[in-house]
Amino acid sequence: MTNTWYLYLFFAAALVFAGLLGLLAKRNLIKLFIAIEVVSKGISLLLVGTGFAKDNVLVAQALVITFIVVEVSLVATALALIINIYRTTKSLDVRKLAQLKG
Amino acid sequence: MIVQTALLIGLVLFSVLAILLRDLLKSAISLAAASLLLGIIFFRMNAPYAGVFEISVVAGLITVLFILTIALTKAGDEVRESRLANWVFPLVFVAFIVIDALVMKSLLGKVPALASGPESGAFGDVLWKGRTFDLVGQIAVILAGVFSVLALFRKRDKHD
Repeated sequence: MTNTWYLYLFFAAALVFAGLLGLLAKRNLIKLFIAIEVVSKGISLLLVGTGFAKDNVLVAQALVITFIVVEVSLVATALALIINIYRTTKSLDVRKLAQLKG
Repeated sequence: MIVQTALLIGLVLFSVLAILLRDLLKSAISLAAASLLLGIIFFRMNAPYAGVFEISVVAGLITVLFILTIALTKAGDEVRESRLANWVFPLVFVAFIVIDALVMKSLLGKVPALASGPESGAFGDVLWKGRTFDLVGQIAVILAGVFSVLALFRKRDKHD
């Protein structure tokens, strides 16, 4: 069973790291948000993988469903924010946000 | 096990593509493909409810929201990404994969996990009875999301 757990944790860590790298490397706001989505996929995989390896799939599923609902709320709010930022600055460049004065 | 590993590799590949591709539409679609693969992985791990949610909500709804946002921000492709990052990203990622493969096995023994026997009962019992408080929190989060979207898209008053 440890081998299965190792497999899922390995790929979950890879997904989380890819997302973090994307957050560091990209400048487009939508790209940054896609990177956050990749991190959240890694977390879902980690939760269900651990539940599967420890014979607790039902609790893991309940947690993942909660997580997905929270994620949808987050996506809707963040994309609305991105559209508003685009309307204000006419660009999706994250560096332009540092020039805002208010 | 081989099919599952292939699906996991596909998931990581599509996720990395979603970050690396320049075209925003293509990266949104590869994110949807990654979600689809994750949903199939959940199905194969005896977690059908999580799989259904992942495919219908994340691969469906969130992709639609992303494509809508990309359509509303047409000039978004013009952001100039740093060239250095395009080279550094794959190199650092491959280095992490190697470290991950070497270190993760020894880390597994140190991860604290609660001792628990195999669970029984149906998924509905666990979700509705065991995690009732989570559901209350979910309702609050959905309401917060709805109100924040309404607040962000409200019509401006004349004196604003």
